[in-house]
Amino acid sequence: MKKLFLVLFTAATMGVLLWEVQSVQAFPVFARKYKTSCSTCHYAFPKLNAFGKAFKNNGFRYPAGTDEEMRKEEPVSLGSEAYKKVFPDAIWPTDIPGTPPLAFRAIGRFLKFDKNTEDGKSSFEMPHELALLFAGTFDDHISYHGEIEFEHAAEIGYDFKVQYDFSPAAHLAFGTVGLNHMMAEDLRLTANHYNIVNLRNQSGTWRIRSGAAGGIELWGAGNGPGGRGGFTYAAGVGNGQRDGENYDKNKSKDFYGRVTYKIGGLGEIGGTEGQGSSTSAFYIDNSFRIGGFAYSGTAVAYAGDDDFSVIGGDIDWWFNRLNVVAAAMQMKSTYAGFERKSFTYFSEANYVLYPWLIAYARYEFTDKNTDDNIDAQTTILPAIVAMVRANVKCSLEYKIPLDSAGKNTGGLIFQVDFGL
Amino acid sequence: MKWINGLITLSFLIFVSSGMAGDIKGKVKVRAARNSGNVVIYIDKVEGKVFEPAKGHSVMDQKNLEFVPHVFPVVVGTTVDFLNSDEVLHNVFSPDCPDGKFNLGTWAKGIMKSFTFNKPGISTILCNVHPEMEAYIVAVKTPYFAVSDKAGNYIIKNVPAGNYTLKVWHEKRKAKPREVAVAATGETAVDFELKR
Repeated sequence: MKKLFLVLFTAATMGVLLWEVQSVQAFPVFARKYKTSCSTCHYAFPKLNAFGKAFKNNGFRYPAGTDEEMRKEEPVSLGSEAYKKVFPDAIWPTDIPGTPPLAFRAIGRFLKFDKNTEDGKSSFEMPHELALLFAGTFDDHISYHGEIEFEHAAEIGYDFKVQYDFSPAAHLAFGTVGLNHMMAEDLRLTANHYNIVNLRNQSGTWRIRSGAAGGIELWGAGNGPGGRGGFTYAAGVGNGQRDGENYDKNKSKDFYGRVTYKIGGLGEIGGTEGQGSSTSAFYIDNSFRIGGFAYSGTAVAYAGDDDFSVIGGDIDWWFNRLNVVAAAMQMKSTYAGFERKSFTYFSEANYVLYPWLIAYARYEFTDKNTDDNIDAQTTILPAIVAMVRANVKCSLEYKIPLDSAGKNTGGLIFQVDFGL
Repeated sequence: MKWINGLITLSFLIFVSSGMAGDIKGKVKVRAARNSGNVVIYIDKVEGKVFEPAKGHSVMDQKNLEFVPHVFPVVVGTTVDFLNSDEVLHNVFSPDCPDGKFNLGTWAKGIMKSFTFNKPGISTILCNVHPEMEAYIVAVKTPYFAVSDKAGNYIIKNVPAGNYTLKVWHEKRKAKPREVAVAATGETAVDFELKR
């Protein structure tokens, strides 16, 4: 009863104030909290390794209830543990971090375009982005994360999510929700976004990157047989399209869901059972994960409602130093009396040359309208990613369009990305 | 020759057990460090004597993402069991062990893997899953060693009377060895100051 009360109270009081922002899944706050390296959780930030996913699936806690003993930073008590016995005649006790749970991220770029643009043939885009990140946990069952992001001179985005963590198998989240928070987009190593998250509906009012805005999500994870691999699931509802005040722009809500199953490798919620190996590294997790996702929503546009939906699947294969990710998605969009079907996919390979140096290549295919005769957009993106320090990443990538329409839209990006 | 070695060892043991041994006690000061702990103070060698490691294995724990102890002196020939006490995978490898580089893989909580340190010297111990973890195993030829506490205090007990070279090792600082004459009883004071 007390737990239920707390959940309802949390749901009723936590604000959901959100703007479209690129979600970030790298939180130096946790490096400080546990006095551990970024590579404990990251393959190369923001891409998570197997333990990083298990940490996230435990509600940003160490697995198997060991978070308190692993935490190196002493929290400040806002009420002794014994006050739980007094509730509801006292405020439920909790604690807050001993130091503010804040971190910073900065990204700068040098761009060289294949063709002259309004900005010229090349540009120093520095800074591209500055972000204030925050994340943490309250007592045993509440966790939160978010960011305030400044991109270019005029764009400010913010993003916040708080969740009640019943157990690793069930978290109830309130805040910025959507498919973008659980797909490769959040974990990409390149400056260029994935094609599947950039594909817009007919009216141009929604893409996966937009997320579902403010909403509620039930999600969870569990280990598979023998403590290896396992499942994850998520189902959510959100405003979808929103106005400048963060209110829903239409009467209907957006719905989405995602499921994955992992075979082999570290359990989705961690633990060490059955995990012995003669070789190891933070970037190795020999396993195969398959997943599916769907999203359905409505957006208001100039010529009426745009009813759209996406359905897709993805795989994530890890073998020693190699990681292959692929995803395919179909989108349907009905707008102004026209129904459009789109199909898009990408596949990428990451190979660890050294623990700090990753060779990368991606192929992308996007057919915006499968019923017309216009060629699909195809692109290859070779890149090299160097972790010059655990918290400083440099990458060099070259987008090469292969279709005739995309000619001269490619270019090179050198990016420096660091978190403090 | 074996009987000569045996005779020397026997004489040595009689010598020590008969009370002809003293303690070396002192204080180390580690310059530009948070504290003066984790300094290994040891007698490099005792002429004509080869010491056997203690029976059984020694244990280095991996607990709360730290190696415990951080600095671990052992007698040459000692087998160290590396225990994982965490609910996360740990690894143990050494890039500079005098016996040769080794990597013991990863293992689950409650399980140990072993390595025997047969050559004297320093082995850096690392975990390739958690780069912040490090420890040092200092393999020495004699059982006469100590590790300083944070205040820099140390004591080496039951050292046979005689003249020795007393050395120190620290992961970041150095000091020159000191010649020391240990009396048959009582304490011999030797202090060190370690610098870059």
